[in-house]
Amino acid sequence: MKKLVTARKASQTFFLLLFMYILWSTTYPLKGLLPPETFFRTNPNIMIFTSISERLFLPGLYFALAMLVLTLIFGRFYCGWVCPLGTFIDCAGALKKRKMVLNDGQNKKVRKPKFVILGAVFLGALFGIQLAWVLDPMVIVARFVSLNLIPTATLVIDRFFIILIKTFNLYGPVYDAYRALKSSFLGVKVFYFANAGIIFLVFLLICSAALFISRSWCRTLCPLGALYSIAARFSLLRRINAGCTTCGKCVERCRMGVIKENADYMKGECILCMDCIYECPAQGTKFTFQASSKPLSTDTAEGKKGGISRKDFLFLMACSVFALGFRWRFGKSKEICGPVTRPPGALKEEDFMDRCIRCGNCMKVCPTNVLQPAILQCGLRGIWTPHLVNEIGYCEYNCTLCGDVCPTGAIPKLPLPKKQNTKLGIAGIDHSTCIAWAYNQKCLVCEEHCPVAEKAIKIEWERVDGELIGKPRVDPDLCIGCGICQNKCPVRPERAIKVSPKGADRT
Amino acid sequence: MEKFLYNLESYLKKQITRRNFLKILLGGLLSFISYNSFLKYAFARSKPSDGRPKSKVKGKYDLVEAEGNDPYVNTVRAVEEMGGMKKFIKKGDVVVVKPNIAWDRTPEQAANTDPKVVAALVELAYKAGAKRVNVFDIPCNEDARCYKNSGIAQAAKEKGAYVYFADHWNIVRAHFPYKSQMEGWPILRDAVVCDKFINVPVLKHHSLTGLTLSMKNLMGVCSGTRGLIHVNIGPKLADLADFISPDLTVIDATRVLIRHGPSGGSLADVLKMNKVLVATDPTLADSFASTLVGRDPLSIPYIKAAAQRGFGSTDISKAKISKIKLS
Repeated sequence: MKKLVTARKASQTFFLLLFMYILWSTTYPLKGLLPPETFFRTNPNIMIFTSISERLFLPGLYFALAMLVLTLIFGRFYCGWVCPLGTFIDCAGALKKRKMVLNDGQNKKVRKPKFVILGAVFLGALFGIQLAWVLDPMVIVARFVSLNLIPTATLVIDRFFIILIKTFNLYGPVYDAYRALKSSFLGVKVFYFANAGIIFLVFLLICSAALFISRSWCRTLCPLGALYSIAARFSLLRRINAGCTTCGKCVERCRMGVIKENADYMKGECILCMDCIYECPAQGTKFTFQASSKPLSTDTAEGKKGGISRKDFLFLMACSVFALGFRWRFGKSKEICGPVTRPPGALKEEDFMDRCIRCGNCMKVCPTNVLQPAILQCGLRGIWTPHLVNEIGYCEYNCTLCGDVCPTGAIPKLPLPKKQNTKLGIAGIDHSTCIAWAYNQKCLVCEEHCPVAEKAIKIEWERVDGELIGKPRVDPDLCIGCGICQNKCPVRPERAIKVSPKGADRT
Repeated sequence: MEKFLYNLESYLKKQITRRNFLKILLGGLLSFISYNSFLKYAFARSKPSDGRPKSKVKGKYDLVEAEGNDPYVNTVRAVEEMGGMKKFIKKGDVVVVKPNIAWDRTPEQAANTDPKVVAALVELAYKAGAKRVNVFDIPCNEDARCYKNSGIAQAAKEKGAYVYFADHWNIVRAHFPYKSQMEGWPILRDAVVCDKFINVPVLKHHSLTGLTLSMKNLMGVCSGTRGLIHVNIGPKLADLADFISPDLTVIDATRVLIRHGPSGGSLADVLKMNKVLVATDPTLADSFASTLVGRDPLSIPYIKAAAQRGFGSTDISKAKISKIKLS
């Protein structure tokens, strides 16, 4: 009975399910047991580097530092026991038994890039550029779950029921069950996210890499892993192997490839998967807090060093300075808004792109599905940032959810009255296609839906052929740019009223 | 995995012959056709419907107006005065109570039907022997928010009604015996396939039509791009009312939004009228309600269109009306 391995697997399953539960409950009434930011607040990579780059103290910093302290005690337990991406990678890796085994020399090189990435992220943060989101595992897996997995799962279940009900005329109890499911588990509507396939491809690539080299992402690229790895070098919990015969079994099977030929290991790289305990024929391998009085290996210095030498580190740090050339910025930028409409009260464009970690929480929670991941609409730098696509939805007047779930405050938490007065942009009417202006017909759908109490769309009544025709005109002072007019406008293919981000209130 | 890759490779390396090529072509074509016809079968089937049959049941009066402080009591007494719910609902009926839940507003803001009126009707329907009472609407704002913040979902559920979100796939296509602009419009199946239909609009201002009343409230059972109904709205709504032909129309005039309708939002625009109207003829109900806020019924496009087509009567002076006052 591999007790510890079972415990590790149970913990992985638990945290994966918890992760999915938190993201699933990130929806309209927001009544989850844990706040939606939980996994981001406990993520030192995101919290520390965003705090540094934005020069502020994020509320989650305490949790993130607590995680580092825990790592100082236990080692990289997070990677092996908690990380949801790690769990997905282990699942993918389990599909193929025989994997490439890298010898120690190669191992070192494989391990290096993540420290380079961490160094680049750190340097960027010093200069006010937040790069932590680019390869952060929590962000990657959250985006996958929120924007791919949950919408697809709900779509499949929804369609299954629709076909079942329509084909067999089951408008009785089955339909009631479907409705109950819809008002609880599935949610009112099936969400759609534009170009979410790219997000899935990134995730797939990371997972499928584990088919060739086990845990290759965690060994090679993960910046969070690199951060934990540095802390884990000093961890109190250590692996000892009494009575080792250097049979090499653990060396071959270690999923992180951290055990050396002489059965010593690199503490910083071990994710405590506990496999080696049960691989050992001598049964002497265990993890303990006892200081190893008699280390088996003679070169402990080498063992502690992990992957990267000081010379290498400095060299790479120096190299990455040049990478900053593309954007050198001190102080606040003048640009208020970019080419796309942002969520209510979002920071000024440049700051928003730096603060946003692209976790997808706001897009997941938005009840009308209006928040969509950008691809290249606001440049490559703005990839996967949220923007409003009013053809799909609109900003609900009485809703502040996107600000409530944002883990870094890129979308601030606004009280409802303030949000209702925050401009996202200003609507403009195209007189050449508007039903009322161009064809002199009665419509006024935009005016009807306008949520502002005094109506930001004013009607000009005009007598045409003896009939009073109301023609809409936008009052730019009252308009908050919520986009419901654009969403409900019956003109196709292009709506006759459109919200432009110019004039938005950005904090 | 390896086996799969091996098979794939050997398949790809196969020499292609004319016979093989034709086989692949035919197979692809067949799977394409069957896939398409499956999708059509599964999703695009919506039957044409002739609408609900007209009910011949009339109440004791043509219209009852109850005025009092409690909308719940108003509703109960008004229906009683009309002859009781038993007159309209038979044992084992499936009843649809269709309130106005269009906006994400609180009851005080008067953009939606008062939840107490809905609750009273649900209770009365069950007492009259209804098997099941369905409450739904297609809101203009996000469904879950509207249902919750209007207070209607909770109030109706407490009385045992089935409150659910409308499914846009569950529709019938409207078919009319005469030429209509609403021909083929997708209408919620649940609104058509039911034994009794009680329409519960709220009286409020509406920018285009002047007032939102019972016929305008029926837009809430229409799927599709509803904005298009706004073009030439009068005849369209009259046809729709003829198609649905509600058995009972209960107009909630407890709080009346007199400006900035139909969504409102400001309490300054709300006038407390404390009235509930009950009628069997939607046109008469709408006509009477429009006089409550001092409008000429014929200035409302859909009432005018209904009068022109002879659906119901707009003549309030000839109608038998009972007005009851409750303390």
